[in-house]
Amino acid sequence: MNENHVIQCVRRVAKNLFNKYVILAVTLCSFGLVSAQNSDGRISGKVISEKDGEPLIGVSILVKGSNVGSVTDFNGAFTLQAKIGETIAVSYIGYTTQTVKITGSTLIIKLSEDSQNLDEVVVVGYGVQKKKLVTGATVQVKGDELAKMNTTNPLQALQGKTPGVNISSTSGQPGSDMKVVIRGLGTTGNSGPLYIIDGVEGDITTLNASDIQSIDVLKDAASAAIYGSQAANGVILVTTKQGTKGNAKVSFDAYYGVQNVERKVSLLNAQEYKMIMDEQQVNSGLSPFNWASKGTLADTDWMGQMIKKDAKTQNYSLNITGGSETSTYSMSLSYNSQEGIIGGSNVSNYERYGARVNTEHKLYKDVLVVGQHLNFNYINTVGIAVGNQYGNTLRGAFDVSPLAPVYSNNNIYNSPYNDTSKSLWNTTDGNPYGSMMTNTQNLNSNQKLLADVYAELQPIKNLKIKSTLGINYYASNYHSLTPLYQFSVYSYNNDHETVNQNMGSGYTLTSTNTASYDLKINEDHAFNALIGAEAVKYRGVGMSGSNWNLVPQMDDFNHAYLDNTTGKAHLDTDGKTLIETRTVGGSASTDYSRSSYFGRLGYNYKEKYMLNATLRADGSSRFASGHQWGYFPSASAGWTISNESFMASTTGWLDQLKLRASWGQVGNQNIGDFKYAALISTSTAVSSSNPAAFYDFGNSGVNTAGAYQTTMANKNLKWETSEQTNIGFDASFLKNRLSLTGDFYIKTSKDWLVQSPLQATSGFDSWMVNGGNVKNTGIELALNWNDNIGDFKYNVGVNGAYNKNVVGEIPTSDGIIHGQTNMLYANSEEFYRAENGHALGYFWGYKTAGIFQNQADIAAWKAAKNGILQTDVQPGDVKYVDQNHDGVIDSKDKIDLGNGMPTVTYGFTLGFQYKNFDFSINGAGALGNKIVQSYGQTGGQSNYTTEILNRWTGDGTSNRIPRVTVNNINWQFSDLYVHAGDYLRISNISLGYDFAKLIHLKAISQCRVYGSVQNAFTFTKYNGMDPEIGYGVENWVSGVDLGYYPRPRTVLVGVNLKF
Amino acid sequence: MKKFKLNIIIAGALTLGLFSSCSDSFLNSVPKTQLVDENFYKTEADAEMALVGCYDGYQQTSSGFPIYLVAEVASDECFGGTGANDGRGYQMIDRLDKNQSTSDNNVFNDTWKSYYKGIFRCNNLLQKLPGIAKWNSSKDSVNNITEKRIEGETRFIRALMYFDLVRMFENIPLLTEPSTANIPQATPLETYKVIVADLKFAAANIPANAYPKAQAATNDGRVTRYAAEALLARVYLFYTGYYAKDDLGVTKPEILAGLEDVIASNEFDLLPDFKTLWRAASYRVDTLKGVKDIGGKDSVYLNKQFYAGKGNKEVVFAQKFNSTSDYAGNADGNGWIVMMGMRGCNFSPYGKGWGACTVNPQLVNAYPTGDKRRTASVIDLVGENIESIFNIADQKEYTGYTVKKYSPTALPVRNGDNSKQTSDTGGSKDFQQSQDQDYVQIRYADILLMAAELGSPNAVAYFNKVHTRAGLTAVASVSLSDIQTERRYEFAFEGIRYWDLLRSGLDNAANTIAASAQTVKSGGVADHITYDVTKIKATKGFMQIPNTQITLSGGVLIQNQGW
Repeated sequence: MNENHVIQCVRRVAKNLFNKYVILAVTLCSFGLVSAQNSDGRISGKVISEKDGEPLIGVSILVKGSNVGSVTDFNGAFTLQAKIGETIAVSYIGYTTQTVKITGSTLIIKLSEDSQNLDEVVVVGYGVQKKKLVTGATVQVKGDELAKMNTTNPLQALQGKTPGVNISSTSGQPGSDMKVVIRGLGTTGNSGPLYIIDGVEGDITTLNASDIQSIDVLKDAASAAIYGSQAANGVILVTTKQGTKGNAKVSFDAYYGVQNVERKVSLLNAQEYKMIMDEQQVNSGLSPFNWASKGTLADTDWMGQMIKKDAKTQNYSLNITGGSETSTYSMSLSYNSQEGIIGGSNVSNYERYGARVNTEHKLYKDVLVVGQHLNFNYINTVGIAVGNQYGNTLRGAFDVSPLAPVYSNNNIYNSPYNDTSKSLWNTTDGNPYGSMMTNTQNLNSNQKLLADVYAELQPIKNLKIKSTLGINYYASNYHSLTPLYQFSVYSYNNDHETVNQNMGSGYTLTSTNTASYDLKINEDHAFNALIGAEAVKYRGVGMSGSNWNLVPQMDDFNHAYLDNTTGKAHLDTDGKTLIETRTVGGSASTDYSRSSYFGRLGYNYKEKYMLNATLRADGSSRFASGHQWGYFPSASAGWTISNESFMASTTGWLDQLKLRASWGQVGNQNIGDFKYAALISTSTAVSSSNPAAFYDFGNSGVNTAGAYQTTMANKNLKWETSEQTNIGFDASFLKNRLSLTGDFYIKTSKDWLVQSPLQATSGFDSWMVNGGNVKNTGIELALNWNDNIGDFKYNVGVNGAYNKNVVGEIPTSDGIIHGQTNMLYANSEEFYRAENGHALGYFWGYKTAGIFQNQADIAAWKAAKNGILQTDVQPGDVKYVDQNHDGVIDSKDKIDLGNGMPTVTYGFTLGFQYKNFDFSINGAGALGNKIVQSYGQTGGQSNYTTEILNRWTGDGTSNRIPRVTVNNINWQFSDLYVHAGDYLRISNISLGYDFAKLIHLKAISQCRVYGSVQNAFTFTKYNGMDPEIGYGVENWVSGVDLGYYPRPRTVLVGVNLKF
Repeated sequence: MKKFKLNIIIAGALTLGLFSSCSDSFLNSVPKTQLVDENFYKTEADAEMALVGCYDGYQQTSSGFPIYLVAEVASDECFGGTGANDGRGYQMIDRLDKNQSTSDNNVFNDTWKSYYKGIFRCNNLLQKLPGIAKWNSSKDSVNNITEKRIEGETRFIRALMYFDLVRMFENIPLLTEPSTANIPQATPLETYKVIVADLKFAAANIPANAYPKAQAATNDGRVTRYAAEALLARVYLFYTGYYAKDDLGVTKPEILAGLEDVIASNEFDLLPDFKTLWRAASYRVDTLKGVKDIGGKDSVYLNKQFYAGKGNKEVVFAQKFNSTSDYAGNADGNGWIVMMGMRGCNFSPYGKGWGACTVNPQLVNAYPTGDKRRTASVIDLVGENIESIFNIADQKEYTGYTVKKYSPTALPVRNGDNSKQTSDTGGSKDFQQSQDQDYVQIRYADILLMAAELGSPNAVAYFNKVHTRAGLTAVASVSLSDIQTERRYEFAFEGIRYWDLLRSGLDNAANTIAASAQTVKSGGVADHITYDVTKIKATKGFMQIPNTQITLSGGVLIQNQGW
């Protein structure tokens, strides 16, 4: 390797790179020499950028065939001792080197930017590499491109920019996780990639986009294999902004925007609801309701009530970079906040304060370089529940009847919200809005520090020994108040308030040591070698406590701390049982450790033939002794055909064509600790996943603690392995105006670490085993074009990826990993599973064949020996297809109804620039993803979407939506729940204008003001609020819409200032 | 050049130092807040703790669709009930008719799993017990009383759970040591033989003085020799009655001798007043003398002094519950009693619940005049002036009667504010979580009536003891039919009747249940409940094996007939 990542940074900001001492020296020299050489052929000149005519500082100029040289000063000017007729080479990092024949004593040299990145370097594992020498499948996105998207989470900005990387939101709640799947799901376990920030594993969501220099995604196994056991799901390398030599550069970015729901689900109003309720009754042989006896009924639009209009989002960040010859620095401060569009900032909010300092110092000339990165965040979040059908605050808006009012004076706790406990219509309705505003009283504060210190020693040329010590530290604290409330007969808390407080902290220490050596033989044979070792250790602790009842003077959330509680242990009203109002808990998480050794060997011949091989060995404490070590090899090769002499005829239009092939194995050990062991619970450290075994002997109410084995041991547990073959090409044409990248891959993930269900007789629900495999096959293409027509510059980028996911084997006795039950509505059956021959997490249910239109239709169906699920079938009921024609509808008739992962994902970028205007549109979309929609309990008093108005009401009225009845027999899980989720989203439209050139203030080099719309339009046939649904009950399933917190449409204005 | 050399040396040293820091011990990690089985099951204290874990495993079987509800819903005592808009799973069990709720294939999955989890704990302890090296007193081949007592208690709990399973599902996988194998179903006889062997071991090895009744305040709930003898009698009666075979390897005289041993121990006795056995029957709302509430009303409280309490003289064995349950890993509560409460509202002393098991008026009307057990067992909504404020529209299969013996309880209205009236469950007073009423499995009255049924020379005396306590006149002689009728009144709503019906023969059971047809109100509208004798017989009175478990076994488990 010739590079380390300092070079990459140098390249990035080369335009501003200069050392004042050098300038001073050159300037002095110039002055000193002026008089001396003026007479005998001194050449002077200026180097400017072809693009904008700006002077280029620090450009080196060398007279060919001599060692006479010079460097340009602040104004881009240079003087040189040379004669007319001699040739000079003008070179500058990031620009094409020019050879100029001296024709006069004054020269103006225009340098053009090295437009197509061929000398660009990309970040690879433990180093950097020239892009043109890359043999794996990687993709790089610049931080500027991300910052332009103005998203709170940098991952959201990546959407549509990285073919093969499927990024979807799991919820529109501010601060929610994004689901990132690289090249298809390969596991039922944790499928998220590994994030490495400046060399240390970290959390990308703690970064402000303006802090990011670049993001590199390692997609194929050969690129990722040097990360071994962590890399089965791909690796995302983040480089934060580094300091550069030269005067301090200050930039300030800010935006402010308002967010709104892009589309609402339309639910029945009171009149429609009453009509459907009556019809349900009548269709089921019951009398319609006597509405007059139900008292005063409201007509509430719960959805409209829950949605907050014009929710704010804002971001401010200040960046300063600069440095001297020996020291560089980059620092930033940022503030970012986003208010939730459901309920607003009191119940759904995200707020982040960030600070970052990166410095680097050269000691002992260039022999030793030391540096550090430090990124600190303080994040406050408040959130509503966004989980399954029970833990989902928004779901109430879908299923509570419109007849219940929002406000009333019937609430016993002086609350303005209506309580339906005595409702004459439905005492269980409740008040989703009142409940959300009353019961969401929590604040989660997280402090995260990601820092490292490194030293790089270069004892001899090309040998670099680097040692990095990184720490990823977190501390969190949380407090909440559960107040007294009552909203329905089953939604109340009448006995006491509860205050919870908890805190936790922990750290991961990473020590990485590498040595690399570059060797060139005969200028043609270039070798580079890297060896390294890494050790990782994690520890953490937590404490929690709770108590009852706040003192009356401080009875609100702002005072909800344990010091203000009054709960005391007391005897119950029976005078016998002791009631303990306080709980206290303290936990220590297990020490996790990992130890690794790795190496890489690279070779290229004239940058025409490239070979790379890596090997990594990882040992992990997550496995039992004897199974701790895993070995992960890879090999890759590249051939730059365009460098071959036989391709000489194509140089006019073909700039580069490179073929790449790679193979590698990577691992996954992303499971909890001690999954291999038989753990014994002694009724301490009690949690819902580690329940106590208490038994109350006698009559005192005092529990005796018992012990039992909580997990089934599997000492043979080992790494999950993913093997991937990748074949690809990179090409650029027409003076690098057009570039094309394509990849084909086959990725087989095997020996999954999977929580495999067990027969009940084992005494356990499941255990962790290795087994099963899944194959992902796919194609990725990316096309970019950029050019200009006079002052009008434009670029177009299109990318797309196709992925096919097929499970090959499941390690259970029936070959199926079953989905959970009760997930769509109460008592719902399993509706998703993993099974051989199907995509991971496919939807499993009945196929329907329309609606029985009349008795003749039913008779014909029966005559054809088809089974019928409805015991008393009537016209208007659903025809469930009897797949095996055995005359009964049962689980044997359930089939694959598609799955939530898209088969095709695509994205595009369009950018225009005209003088000081800039305009861009970004879009992303997906095809082939299915969505399961379930908003309530069909057949009961739950509300319906207005889709039900198109139900069957008589012969010929509908062949899709069945008649309504008081049971849900027509709503057994079938394709009626499954909707196509194809969409195209215009994720960002921006228009900006740079005033810097108008105001002509020297201090200001950029003053761009812009307006932007995020999530501007979504083209989809899906009738829910958002077709991009990462949620899926479990993380290997997506596309389950149980009342989804949608992503907002944001309209914002912002400014970018550079000084 | 010298400097160059120095650099090389430094680099070499660094490289060596940095690259040799990791060794295998670095990777060895132990949990900090849990134990692993390698360092457990070593001492007597470990064994005692694991035994409590087995009791807890048994306690966990009270959630899901537990055997208590099965017995009540399927019998002729109660209908399914529950909410007007709820699914028809309870009706499916009541009628033993799959057509009542075709999509319900997993009603018993949680129940099934909880039993096998409990059985695993017992099997695991039994397997580890011989390896326990450190006993507090010297352990030798003759004097290992503690070990045998622990083994006896463990085997009793296992037998109890297998007995529940085999009565509910008949054909069940039988395992006596931990196993992950895919085990096919055993024959009922195989299962009953294990149950009998376990109970005989418990009766023979738990010392008579291990848990004396005198110390019930601290030991109630423990398995005693007497509990083992009593349960063995219940097992014997059910098996020989239902299967009409006497091939369990234990004789009728042995069984009777066991019951006589319980009686002769003088540990137990009937309480003088039947209603004091039950909380809801003995609690009453009283006025606090001289204390006025806000608004000038007399202040009221729940007077509990007449309740005989947990572990009273009559309790031979109870499944114990506590009010300490929560949503964070403590599950010590009675999982089914919340189903028994009246829907929607507290009617002190009765607490609210989900309205299951509405009582068949035929049973209420069958009680002889003067039988005190009727009012102690049944809540009469009309007679107790509850109906006018009860929301009938929210109730399925409303009959005007509901179960009192196992009703949740609630505190009376305070400060005249009806809404603030809370459940009387103790703990966090969460009516779904904190229910701490014990389920009394075997009462002394049952010992007396079983002994009478098995032909004790004191049969008439035993019978009369139970009969006269209820306020009825002593009889001169008893027939089997008399005993069956007496059991119906005495043990109503104690989860016993259904098994008594089955052991009287499947035909008789099916016909009796079918005769309990009734017109009730569902959602306030008339609803005719009828039973199809052929459906009941098709299932032989047994329940549906959870479909999930059949699927997980890849078809090794076979679904019961009629399902």
